[in-house]
Amino acid sequence: MNSTDSIIDVRNVHKTFKKRVKALRGVDMQVHPGEIFGLLGPNGAGKSTLVKILMTVVRPSAISGTFLGKPVGTKSALREVGYLPEHHNFPNYLTGRQVIEFSGALSGMLKRQRRANANRLLDRVGMTRWASSRLKTYSKGMLQRVGLAQAMVNDPRIVVLDEPTDGVDPVGRREIRDLLLELRGEGRTIFLNSHLLSELEMVCDRVAIMVQGQVSMQGTIEELTCDSRRFEIDCSGAEPEWLGTIEKATAEVDDERCCIRVRTDDVEDIQPLLDRLRSDGRTITRVHAMRESLEDLFMRAVTEDDGTVASPGGVVERGRGKEGDA
Amino acid sequence: MTATIALLLDAYRLLNARKIFWITMILSLLVVGSFALVGIDEQGISIAWWNLELFEINTGIAGFTQAVFYKLIFVNFGINIWLSWVATILGLITTASIFPEFLGAGSIDVVLSKPISRLRLYVVKYITGLLFVFLQVTAFTLASFLVIGLRGGSWEPGLFIAIPLVTLFFSYLFAICALLGVITRSTIASLLLTVLIWFGIWIVQSAEGTLMMFQLMLDQRVEGYQQAADRIEERLAKVEDPDDTERWAFLHESLEKRKETLADATSSAASLDAWHTGLIGVMTVLPKTGETIQLLERWTIDLAELPQNENDTTRPLVNDEGDFRPDEQRLAEDIQQAKRDRSVWWILGTSVIFELVLVLIGGWLFWRRDF
Repeated sequence: MNSTDSIIDVRNVHKTFKKRVKALRGVDMQVHPGEIFGLLGPNGAGKSTLVKILMTVVRPSAISGTFLGKPVGTKSALREVGYLPEHHNFPNYLTGRQVIEFSGALSGMLKRQRRANANRLLDRVGMTRWASSRLKTYSKGMLQRVGLAQAMVNDPRIVVLDEPTDGVDPVGRREIRDLLLELRGEGRTIFLNSHLLSELEMVCDRVAIMVQGQVSMQGTIEELTCDSRRFEIDCSGAEPEWLGTIEKATAEVDDERCCIRVRTDDVEDIQPLLDRLRSDGRTITRVHAMRESLEDLFMRAVTEDDGTVASPGGVVERGRGKEGDA
Repeated sequence: MTATIALLLDAYRLLNARKIFWITMILSLLVVGSFALVGIDEQGISIAWWNLELFEINTGIAGFTQAVFYKLIFVNFGINIWLSWVATILGLITTASIFPEFLGAGSIDVVLSKPISRLRLYVVKYITGLLFVFLQVTAFTLASFLVIGLRGGSWEPGLFIAIPLVTLFFSYLFAICALLGVITRSTIASLLLTVLIWFGIWIVQSAEGTLMMFQLMLDQRVEGYQQAADRIEERLAKVEDPDDTERWAFLHESLEKRKETLADATSSAASLDAWHTGLIGVMTVLPKTGETIQLLERWTIDLAELPQNENDTTRPLVNDEGDFRPDEQRLAEDIQQAKRDRSVWWILGTSVIFELVLVLIGGWLFWRRDF
């Protein structure tokens, strides 16, 4: 896809706090229309800083690129953006409906339109019954639902969600997941920042993994895990003597059963192997296509070559440096 | 505009949710209600059914009407004490948290992610902070208007000038509080520092008022000794017997003493004037909180309406023994007149400039800050 078609197309994003802490060190990222994009990374990797730069909450030290076709930081572009921050703190003297309508009003929506949208969204997130109750009476899960509704009130082209399932029970998480898929079905783009890798894996089309202020990996889960794709074949008997002649194949024997692993993502590559096992008179009990989970991928991204896990937080420059000089 | 209206509506909801707002409102109305209980007639002052005959204030004094009496209560007690001190402190307590809470993590993110410029957001939020005092003063003034009209028999629409004046007075302090809120992000710190700065401003104003009083007193002293010297010179001229050297020497010696004291007083007056001018310079760059409130008295009460005390204008300021005794009534009138003579531009204009500078600094800090 052409980068000019991207909803988010940012390059060389730098952010240095207090002239020392380099939170972002040259981030390049593209998010395409209509996809669910997941941003992963350990604590302090710079994910929230990047999101806040896009939302104009934090000012970048250096940046080039566009957000919704306009230079990052252009306020008018935010008219088409919905945002739910992590640890949001909506005024607790407002009711659920008032929060949603207030968010719509700040986006410049007319009263009739935001009222209609609020009613529709309250129903969509299952909060119609509590719409007139003040936020101080809500549970964490209810607050999250209202937060999601306020992020969608302006019919945004992109919804940026920072830990949207935080504090939500399993049923609520499922509902939020379904909601995200519905939004994608409507053609909206979802930008998800989350620690819950299993949930991201279920819904994300593409992901980026950030480590210490840089994007370590970026792409579809298929692309990122293609090197780790393999087939596992369980069969009876000991390790075949001829296995060494087959490229990318290894075996593990346990109690008269053998597990052969072949590193390939093409099922045709294992057909000759299966034929040969059968011709040896072995019983094939299982053939399974395997790939790295997102968690495996994540751990691979955050693990240094020497096996240590990347330390959390931005890179702190020794002594005083100039802002944005990373 | 939709966003601005939404922010104003949100500010009202915030106030509405705070008990202290309604407590202050009820107290304000009780204060006005207590005015209504105070009555005045030719017999003196009464409170409800009790006549307080010990007061020598009554409508029998020439020109002193019920309307003037109620206006004096409104200005001196309602505005100068209640709204300027008690309600203002309650207002600061209520509104000091507006910016720190607004800037808190999780609150500011959603608002900043909206298509509203930061400067506009800051200014609108600042204006919403003034809503507390605006609503309080409006209710108070309206109730006072009714009390003065119904009890005093005089309908005074001029009282409503209290609404912009008191709101303006509060806005000077809120500009400080908002700036400190942006810098410290702490309600307690911004509130305490604002009160401290307010106290500092009050000290400067009080010092200026005291210096002005001493200066006017010195002016009387200079005038008194000048008159005394003139009187002695007149007497010297009237000494008929040129051989009466004893009397001549006595008058001459007295004249020298008066001139010496006059020179001292003139020198002191010049020195005090320099100090006073310096303090006026300091006051020029500070908000004139007290003087802004005093404008209300200037604009609603004509000095001629107030009862005039009998003033002994014949008594010399310096007697024949050379003792100075100031004319305290004239001194009080001179102080009042000197304050009334100060230009509205100097009082309001320089104060508003101070406020604008603070709002711009606060807006600039808010504009460039990461949250």
